[in-house]
Amino acid sequence: MDLFNPGFWLFVAAIAGTYAIMALGLYVQFSLAGLPNFGHVAFMAVAAYAMAILVVRAAAPLSFAVIGGIAAAVVLAFIVGIPTVRLRADYLAIATVAASEVVRYLAMNLTDLTGGPLGSIGLLGPGQVAMYNTSWLRFVDGLAHAASSLTGTNVSRDAVVAPLMWLVAVIAIAALASLERSPWGRVMRAIREDEVAATAAGKNVFAFRMQALVLGGVLGAIAGMLLALQIGVFSPDDYEPTLTFYAYLILILGGSNRIWAIPLGAGLFSLLYSGTRFLNFFPLSLIDSGARAFLRLFLVGFLLVLFMALRPQGILGNRRELLLDK
Amino acid sequence: MLEIEDLRRWFGGVAAVDGVSFAVAEGSMTALIGPNGAGKTTVFNLISGFLKPQGGRIRFTGRRIDALRADVIARAGLVRTFQTPRVLTRMSVLDNMLLAGRDQPGEGFAMRWIAPRRVARREQAVRCRAAELLALLRLDHLAADYAGTLSGGQRKLLELGRALMTEPRMILLDEPMAGIAPVLAAQLLQHTRMLRAEQGITVFLIEHDMEMVMAVSDRVIVMDEGRVIAAGTPDAVQRNERVIEAYLGRTSAEPAA
Repeated sequence: MDLFNPGFWLFVAAIAGTYAIMALGLYVQFSLAGLPNFGHVAFMAVAAYAMAILVVRAAAPLSFAVIGGIAAAVVLAFIVGIPTVRLRADYLAIATVAASEVVRYLAMNLTDLTGGPLGSIGLLGPGQVAMYNTSWLRFVDGLAHAASSLTGTNVSRDAVVAPLMWLVAVIAIAALASLERSPWGRVMRAIREDEVAATAAGKNVFAFRMQALVLGGVLGAIAGMLLALQIGVFSPDDYEPTLTFYAYLILILGGSNRIWAIPLGAGLFSLLYSGTRFLNFFPLSLIDSGARAFLRLFLVGFLLVLFMALRPQGILGNRRELLLDK
Repeated sequence: MLEIEDLRRWFGGVAAVDGVSFAVAEGSMTALIGPNGAGKTTVFNLISGFLKPQGGRIRFTGRRIDALRADVIARAGLVRTFQTPRVLTRMSVLDNMLLAGRDQPGEGFAMRWIAPRRVARREQAVRCRAAELLALLRLDHLAADYAGTLSGGQRKLLELGRALMTEPRMILLDEPMAGIAPVLAAQLLQHTRMLRAEQGITVFLIEHDMEMVMAVSDRVIVMDEGRVIAAGTPDAVQRNERVIEAYLGRTSAEPAA
């Protein structure tokens, strides 16, 4: 693959947009309300599966299936949240990471419902190819066609999807930035800082935390479904815990507690993650491609450690704020 | 205003609060004193709902509150401060105040979009009140600063301000004078007196500064080892032999007390 292939970078940009939405969901939970959710990927997985199953098995229209996916994530948020949201932060982290693994193993083993390890392609059982994104592709092709005839050039699918994803991401971020500055956001920040003080001021900490968990879960669900629609086929392996950590990396890179740092973080992360794909020149080319794949992950991790050491507040963060003790 | 009957709470096998009964009259300034480990802060935690009692009844304005959640009790008009002030360090002094404003429609999710006018009107009122109180507490020049940059005494003032933002009927102060500069202590004392005089807020406080307790309170309740050992006017309590033995007797050896 060519480093200067615009088609590749358009694909990266589209994925980066969905990652921004994913990270926004985590932002609501972690940065705003102080819930260390280490199982964010579960919301994405549950929504993607619910959507695919509704389309393939129930022959539901995509718009209906998307609502079903969001509903599934809300249900998951309540199942996970009611027993765990009262827990201390470290226990909550453990409980959520466990919940996300439970979801993945269920997807892996409930073969009749989910297609098992085969993934979405096996939703109709062996021997039949199941597709859930036909109407999405038709929609995107329609947009691409309209754009082509409008500009007189050939506009590819990704050239439509990438701006579309970023449009959704920016609208969602702008909406949350507005809510963050409202009294609602003030209570959330107070709970993040000191839940005892927030309680003493008459705020129902449990109810606000549940709101954050559900809202973050819905955003995660939207990201998970958009991701599934773009990649066309998914399996339980696409929803490993690493995805949750990518979301954390995006928040940390951009700058903790800065909502407009999310697009920056998502862009930078995708650049790092995809850019290291091209480390195939000498002397790295002496290592075989399998080992190079691990080297990439190592490099991404190393850059992040470097980043944390040199600029712990992120690109847009405020160091002074970081240094204030509780 | 506040009636407590046979209140009990154990930690492990130890009875921290062991059958405590007393009442705080409306509009009074009542002090709760006692040596370290007497169970004073536990009583505060039980009243404010941060701990659940394992026996007994608590009534506030005639209504049972011992089974209520802490935030519900705070909204009912019974608000507390903490021994070590809990300010929201990474939020501005002003935001600390605004947070505690009561009945804010904007706290509902997306209410900013659903009822923008109602939210804006209430926000305006809450901001006015916060500005007034900050000026009164002489914290107005710090309004935009992070609360984490305040000194210990300023944090106590801010916490008092935050409690007042909830428009309480009764306020529980846990050692308001401990560990703060004398000038700020005098200021805090003056505010506390004014609260009672102007707004009729009942004040119930834990305090170690005996001079202050005797000077400002109408009534003193003395606890030792989880029980109330005396209650009455400052003069009467000062002459009570059990109190002298349990508390004043011990501290009188120290010149500062």
